[in-house]
Amino acid sequence: MTRPPGVVTHPEVSRTVRGQGNVAVRELFAVEAHGRIDSPPSHASVGRMTSRDDIEHLIARIALRDQSAFSALYDATSKKLFGICLHVLDHRGEAEEVLQEVYIRIWHKADSYAVTGHSPMTWLITISRNLAIDKLRSRRAAMTTLDAEAVTIADARPGPEASAISRSEHSAMSACLEELDTDRADAVRRAYLDGDTYKDLAHRYDVPLNTIRTWLRRSLMTLRDCLTR
Amino acid sequence: MTGPDDTYGDKALAAEYVLRLLDPDAHRAFEARLLDEPELRALVLDWEQQLATLAEDIAEETPPAHLRGAVLKTVATDPAAASRRGWFTGLWARVLGGGLLAAVAITLAVVVFDRLEEQGPSYRADLISADQSISLMVRSGETADALQVEVAAGSPPDGRVFELWLIAEDAAGPVSLGVLNASALTSIQVPEALLAGLATGTLAISDEPPGGSPTGSPTGTVLAAGQVQKI
Repeated sequence: MTRPPGVVTHPEVSRTVRGQGNVAVRELFAVEAHGRIDSPPSHASVGRMTSRDDIEHLIARIALRDQSAFSALYDATSKKLFGICLHVLDHRGEAEEVLQEVYIRIWHKADSYAVTGHSPMTWLITISRNLAIDKLRSRRAAMTTLDAEAVTIADARPGPEASAISRSEHSAMSACLEELDTDRADAVRRAYLDGDTYKDLAHRYDVPLNTIRTWLRRSLMTLRDCLTR
Repeated sequence: MTGPDDTYGDKALAAEYVLRLLDPDAHRAFEARLLDEPELRALVLDWEQQLATLAEDIAEETPPAHLRGAVLKTVATDPAAASRRGWFTGLWARVLGGGLLAAVAITLAVVVFDRLEEQGPSYRADLISADQSISLMVRSGETADALQVEVAAGSPPDGRVFELWLIAEDAAGPVSLGVLNASALTSIQVPEALLAGLATGTLAISDEPPGGSPTGSPTGTVLAAGQVQKI
């Protein structure tokens, strides 16, 4: 590969994944595995400060147990990842705990980063989001008897309108969410960013549990069709 | 799962998995399938990548200064720190440097599932090269430490052999587990001293001269690697 990663942009990848079904997915898989080509997601806010290649290089050095690379990665990414933890958990103390877990995970799992085929920020965001959701779920499990209260907490979050204001217009995901009904797009965001469960969503939109699942799955497939268009 | 939801099959299921919407039983069942189904893993990675863009809009927040010290301190006391340098430099330079990437990079054929339930002392790993031309399956046999290694696809370059390496999480470097039969099963008994490191380690193969690496460390190209999974 003579082309540096990051040069190939969205339209080219879109062509690769055009069409539906497993064949297209396999093609995407192959492209990512071989080339680590930048795909639609572009985590621009971090890219301004530290390029994708820089972060990838830091992760590679962390796999070698390079502590200076680790502190450099922390400095380059901790604001973003803390923002995510804080958003999911809406609790500073818990977000701090989770952020610590996130970096320890990064330290230990840096050598498995390459096999995921993810862009570095996707990998970091996915770790952060998942650990934050785990923490959120364990908090909720601890207060199952106070279920109503848990819902109240969820309700207190900023509404989707607020989060929509700053939405990047360049993200394919954002563009495709625009094509969904507002409620349905919000449900997808709430599941990913707020850790809402089907139960939470059913309560929020006042529909039966089975209905919400069918509803969301249909939205996800519409989204997927749009993303691979 | 029955009824109309099946219309969307694995594509929707993978999204639900990534969103953490599946109930615990369905979540575990899905993770079990992921181990054997590369296409399912590709769906998961695809959804993870797409959905991660939603986090772009989240405002950055500066974590408290003391956290930085705490995080760095944890790492500074890790016994594995600054130990793997020499050998891994070569591997990662190749994997991430770009030059030989297309030929030898590790693929996403192995996905790490930290949340897998520990069901017993048995291990597995799938080692697959980037172009999928080389594929090996490693499984525990009758006992956890008796590994059966099968070269499912591919062969070493002419005049070379595959050698299997264990890179334990806190080890100073890769340790040879032996040279493989390219065309048949190889049984490998993991020495007791290495067994503890196997559970959380990575297995890799390199091509070496017949008889194996003369130096005790990999000298050839690292062709494929995979995280060990406890099953």
